[in-house]
Amino acid sequence: MIAQSRALALERATLAPGHSEPHARVPMTTANPLSGRVFEAIGRNQPFTPETHAALASEELVLEIERFDLWYGKSRALHAISMAVPRGKVTAMIGPSGCGKSTLLRSVNRMNDLIDSVRIAGEMRLNGDPIYAPGQDVIELRKRIGMVFQKPNPFPMSIFENVIYPLRIDGERDKHVLAGVCESSLRGAGLWDEVKDRLNDSALRLSGGQQQRLCIARAISAEPEVLLLDEPCSALDPIATGRIEDLIEELKGNYSILMVTHNMQQAARTSDYTAFMYLGRLVEYGPTDDIFLQPHLKETEDYISGRFG
Amino acid sequence: MSPTTTTEASAERKLARRRGAGQRRTSLFAHGEPLVWLTGGALALAVVMILGLLLLVLRQGLPTFWPSEVVQVSTVAGGVHAGEVADVDVYRPEAHVLDALPEAVAARARASLAERDGLSERRMLRTGNYELTGTHYTWVSDFELAEETRPEWILVVERLENGRFYGTPRSIAVQGTTTEGDAQLVWDQFERHHDAARERWQVKRELETVEIGEVNRLIEAARLELREVELAHGVDSEPWRAAQRELEQRTHSAEAEFQRLRREIDALTEAGRGSTLTLVSADGASTTLALEEIVRAYPANRLSTAERIGVYLSRLAEFLFDEPREANSEGGVFPAMFGTVLMTLIMAVLVVPFGVLAALYLREYAKPGAVVSAVRIAINNLAGVPSIVFGVFGLGFFCYIVGANVDELLFSAKLPTPTYGKGGLMWASLTLALLTLPVVIVPTEEALSAVPRSMREGSFACGATKWQTIWRIVLPRALPGIMTGMILALARGAGEVAPLMLVGAVKLAPELPLDTHWPFLHPERSFMHLGFHIYDLGFQSQNSEAAKPMVYTTTLLLIGIVVALNVLAIWIRARLRRRFQGSQL
Ligand SMILES: Nc1ncnc2c1ncn2[C@@H]1O[C@H](COP(=O)(O)OP(=O)(O)OP(=O)(O)O)[C@@H](O)[C@H]1O
Ligand SMILES: [Mg+2]
Repeated sequence: MIAQSRALALERATLAPGHSEPHARVPMTTANPLSGRVFEAIGRNQPFTPETHAALASEELVLEIERFDLWYGKSRALHAISMAVPRGKVTAMIGPSGCGKSTLLRSVNRMNDLIDSVRIAGEMRLNGDPIYAPGQDVIELRKRIGMVFQKPNPFPMSIFENVIYPLRIDGERDKHVLAGVCESSLRGAGLWDEVKDRLNDSALRLSGGQQQRLCIARAISAEPEVLLLDEPCSALDPIATGRIEDLIEELKGNYSILMVTHNMQQAARTSDYTAFMYLGRLVEYGPTDDIFLQPHLKETEDYISGRFG
Repeated sequence: MSPTTTTEASAERKLARRRGAGQRRTSLFAHGEPLVWLTGGALALAVVMILGLLLLVLRQGLPTFWPSEVVQVSTVAGGVHAGEVADVDVYRPEAHVLDALPEAVAARARASLAERDGLSERRMLRTGNYELTGTHYTWVSDFELAEETRPEWILVVERLENGRFYGTPRSIAVQGTTTEGDAQLVWDQFERHHDAARERWQVKRELETVEIGEVNRLIEAARLELREVELAHGVDSEPWRAAQRELEQRTHSAEAEFQRLRREIDALTEAGRGSTLTLVSADGASTTLALEEIVRAYPANRLSTAERIGVYLSRLAEFLFDEPREANSEGGVFPAMFGTVLMTLIMAVLVVPFGVLAALYLREYAKPGAVVSAVRIAINNLAGVPSIVFGVFGLGFFCYIVGANVDELLFSAKLPTPTYGKGGLMWASLTLALLTLPVVIVPTEEALSAVPRSMREGSFACGATKWQTIWRIVLPRALPGIMTGMILALARGAGEVAPLMLVGAVKLAPELPLDTHWPFLHPERSFMHLGFHIYDLGFQSQNSEAAKPMVYTTTLLLIGIVVALNVLAIWIRARLRRRFQGSQL
């Protein structure tokens, strides 16, 4: 039911720009006084409170981001992001290219540590543990977080070794444990039936879609507390994309997922919550239904309906 | 004109232009055809040069062992020479050469020379019989030729000393009984008894080198022990006296052993003394050769093709598996081959890990900046330093500093005879490892930087440490590139000669660096090397004419070894590649 109405709204929204009388559409909510002037405020670098919907307050949180800033050298990529990611749900991040979605995602498992010029301020907590605390063991932290990248990046080894890589580097030797984890992860990623007979083949010989599901299997084999997906379908064809979306649907509940996507339909179909970012700021964040059907800000509505830029 | 017609007109013009373009041909350069020719031509030139070099070496190197026919020529001046044609060329004889000839002959010669613009052909015969004539080769000009024959029974005799002998068999003595007269009979006798004589000689040599060497080794060990005790406890101490007694005892028993071996050797020598072959050379001088000193003999003009191939293969086998004789210009190159392969392999074992570690630090750990760039440039330039400089460095640093210290610490009893304080296999391998270091580092670095960032990030995201990522992801992925570096290093190292002359390659090594005596591999020993062997044959040999074909043959062998090593490495690399290959996304 909900999915249907969402799709309807989306259709209406995406059709709208071609409509002969765009002004005939009435903004559904204009609760926020800044609505319509947010980009202007951001452009003038004025302080601005993101529109976070009340529904989030009742959720149990897996990841809390508090006033998080990030600089690449002199240029600031993230501005005081505050965002709470609920447990067992799928949270989507949308926003125009270059707005800092990947940067924020990579900050969660401290992948940005690999870049020398990066400086940060603010706080993040994974299940209450401060991610950026001075004594934090980054290696241990990353083991608690799974990540899947935009481009499938299987390792140059067998399918089996790829899936159990996180366990291997942890020093797990027990063959039964490894085989069990391999099977359950591949099943979890919906790849088991396709590869169960050739686990010892090179992973590089899989198709793009299979490779991406393999990467998801690898990410969930260590049972992470949160799963980060950075545009996981952008390199895939529609059928492979459909399979990954189904997979995300199935993983929901067992895993808390934070994903970046450029595909509005995908966000609408798969996510429970959606965050809209713009130029390094969080603009609006709330239940996906609300964001797509009755956003609080006109800018969000414009972006979702494609009347933007 | 209305606006409609204007647009129509412009559309027509556009169309016309398009049509015109259709008729014109796209320029040759746009098609890139000249570039195809240019690039193809460059490649073709390179291939032609490589093939040319290879063909030269093949042309000169392959026939070395072929037994050609022996010609016997008599000259108008009365000389008679028999030998194999080694070279043919055209030259301009000087007037006084003709003047020296008898009048009638000189006139004929002048006439024939005038026909050919004063040029004459001449042949170089390998006439051998060095102990009789004092020369191995004789030039015979066509105009001084009186008669040319191919005597049926002339033998080519390869022997241990003095090069080849060409002559007709007259008689053979086997342990006192002599067969004389008919060449066929003598030859049959020779064939029947030659193998036994050679075997006896082989046994004798075995006794002289291996067995006596063994006894010497025992005495030497006792002497060393005494010296060690002396260094530790001083002369006339109790342990010293014990060691002294031990040495005396050993020397005593060794003396008995020596006597026994001597007697055995003498018996063999005595047995060999009665077996000789007497030959008559072309000019009538007769010479008697001991049967056991004849390596190989064959009636060159009686051989069928199959028999010629037999001689060829027998010489090839000798070349590959035997030790050199006659100052390296005859016999085999086995020790040199062995030394080359062993040294190259040790070098690879040293340089690959070393180079990979250095490249890893440069690419993975060092912060990119001026210092790293400077180091990288320095490494690249290291490849341009003349290799002899590495030899000097190896001699000065490895042999005289490191080696001398090792001797002092571990082999003080042997001093002043150096053990490691001189050129040797170890130092040669190390020197070449230094020399080939850039050849390994550069491709390795390239391979490391070609490992996609996404793979590393994927590994880090799984919670891998930097080293785990390098070990499990980066290195396996870069392995084919590392192998490329190794292949280049092998080729470079195996063909290098100059530095080796300073750090351990010798003309003749008494022992192989690998044998059955503990610790089996003797990295301190000097060794023979094909590259040095080539240099030695080509430029240091007294009988350089005879050595020339050997130079090419040895070159051919060296090329073959380098190719074999490379093919092996390339095969391994292809297998590795196949493992990591797949659909690229
Ligand atoms: N390694 C880096 N060094 C310097 N600046 C960077 C780096 N990576 C990203 N940026 C900058 O940070 C900003 C945010 O980049 P980010 O990759 O997070 O955007 P994004 O929202 O993921 O965009 P897209 O949707 O195109 O992936 C951009 O302006 C980008 O130019
Ligand atoms: Mg991105």
